Amino acid sequence: MKFKAFLTENGVNLLEKRFLPAFDKMGKTCFVFLTKEHLFFLHNLLNGDGVQCIAQFRKDVLFDDYRLSSQNEDRIAFSLDVSLLYRAVKSSVSICTEFSGGLASNRLQIKLVKKLPPNCTQPMPFLTFETKGYKSAVIQDVPISKPLSRSQVIELQTALDSAQDLPPTLVQVQDPNQLQNFVDHMKHVGDVLNVTISKHGDLQVQISTTLIRLGTEFQRLSVIGEKTQAPVEDRNLSAQARSERAVARGDAQSVEVSVKHFSKSLHCHLTKPDSAFYGIAPQGACLTVIFQFMVPGTRQTDKSISLHCRLPVLDPGSS
Amino acid sequence: MSSSPAIEPDAPDLVCQLDNVQGMVDALACVRWKRHQDALVELSEHGIVLIVEESGCLQAKVYLQRELFTKYEYGAEGRPRFGISLGLLVDCLNTFSSPGHSNTIEIKYPGPDMELLLKSVDTLNSCIYSEIRTRLPETSAWDYNFEQAGSAPLTFTVKSSALKEAIDDLEWPGSSVQISLQKSPPCVTFRGEGHGDLQIDLMYYANTDLLLAFHCDTEVSYRYKYKFLKATTANIPGNVVRENRGSKLTIGRGGMLKVQHLVSVAKALAPQVESAGYQPPSRIAYIEFFVKPEEPDD
Repeated sequence: MKFKAFLTENGVNLLEKRFLPAFDKMGKTCFVFLTKEHLFFLHNLLNGDGVQCIAQFRKDVLFDDYRLSSQNEDRIAFSLDVSLLYRAVKSSVSICTEFSGGLASNRLQIKLVKKLPPNCTQPMPFLTFETKGYKSAVIQDVPISKPLSRSQVIELQTALDSAQDLPPTLVQVQDPNQLQNFVDHMKHVGDVLNVTISKHGDLQVQISTTLIRLGTEFQRLSVIGEKTQAPVEDRNLSAQARSERAVARGDAQSVEVSVKHFSKSLHCHLTKPDSAFYGIAPQGACLTVIFQFMVPGTRQTDKSISLHCRLPVLDPGSS
Repeated sequence: MSSSPAIEPDAPDLVCQLDNVQGMVDALACVRWKRHQDALVELSEHGIVLIVEESGCLQAKVYLQRELFTKYEYGAEGRPRFGISLGLLVDCLNTFSSPGHSNTIEIKYPGPDMELLLKSVDTLNSCIYSEIRTRLPETSAWDYNFEQAGSAPLTFTVKSSALKEAIDDLEWPGSSVQISLQKSPPCVTFRGEGHGDLQIDLMYYANTDLLLAFHCDTEVSYRYKYKFLKATTANIPGNVVRENRGSKLTIGRGGMLKVQHLVSVAKALAPQVESAGYQPPSRIAYIEFFVKPEEPDD
């Protein structure tokens, strides 16, 4: 089992400035899954509760000179503490910039190693960051779990495959900050968020308790997938009435999720996506949020990076 | 809750619009001294009054006059009153003041189930809406009957930040604070006794920039529970303290203390346009606290 690569400048930027700060807020540990072509960060994929977060990078986005081999069809997976990884990357970057004097030749190497830590009899696996200077080298070891076994990797791959299902209707939120501000304030009012998404391009987010109902509605969002025209007679109704009618007609779906989960998924905005798509999986299985990244300076989707979250749906009876 | 009907059969008691939600949040936050607090709201053709009270010793009123609102349509006979959770109301209004949203809201009472209805207006493709459940008001009227102590009022006006600082400093000595007004030389004294003594003197002639006004024709001295005194200044939002208007304190008959603050509810165009912070009086919310004195011990 071998993994060795150099992080590109773009890769370092993506990880240090955007993705690791977001992952750090999503949860303490995550799986890193390496294949011949891709690197994945996977949060909460194997245990059902909590927000699942899946980030996928094509290898050349992050690395050059990417070398990977394993007897398990060249797949390696392990879990690690995200905050340690984040710290290691941050300090490697600062060392790099400090010693290179801005020269790009000073590259950051990342590799999988086994080492004997002090006071241990067993060698332990580490993800090692190595920064070579003119006269010295700085090495940082991030402890990782034992690499997953063949059967565990298959389990992870299966969970990953099944997490790729697209909701039939997705609505696009262009300005995610607005939603974030709103949900941040809403947190004080209740714990359960009702999310309704219609084929007309309406997204409604609402908290409802015995004392208060507080919600926001975004209308006329662009729709991907199944879409229909909103009936003219609904135009002058209140937001609640409209969404209730749309659900009754089968033009909208509604699920309840935890406010905490929703606000956690909003941390993904730290990755600076260009927009976010919200959709409800068939049978209301989960709320899916897909973040879209554009190739810088264009209006084309950057297919080499993908990020999405799946929020578990609360049983309507349990809250 | 059932879906609301599209057309209201009767005109509501009140429909009003406000273009600065944050100002209303600031004003209400001043009287929010604990997390769960019941408030009484009274509507009239002159505006909205919100009253909160604690253990028969402390009462606060927020006056939101009709001039603060860009639209104020009052359709009720008499003065409708209802009870509401102050915490929920403030948290909810805060949501409406999110940056990036139009700051104008419409407030309507009552809804189909006697709720207070709030919604954002003037936004094209997004809106925020809320319905807050109201309660029947408690039967006992919270009337504190503030009356002037003598022929002339016993009153002083002090910079809000200085008052807040003085009261914060009085925290350590103990549970009660004595406020004394002295005629000559004109002076206000805050004195806390307990684990130690702390006395803060505001001399009128020495501190004219702190003590803005002073009227006293007889010496008075009363003790107030620290926690009630603290409630009168502790929750004033930072931006209001920075505006640093004067807070007016008056001692009435029997030692009843009245503390008045002013909070700007003007639409924020550009912050600190005028350093004097002058706002036309119509865009000011008035906040009043009444604190009962401690019984003098024999």
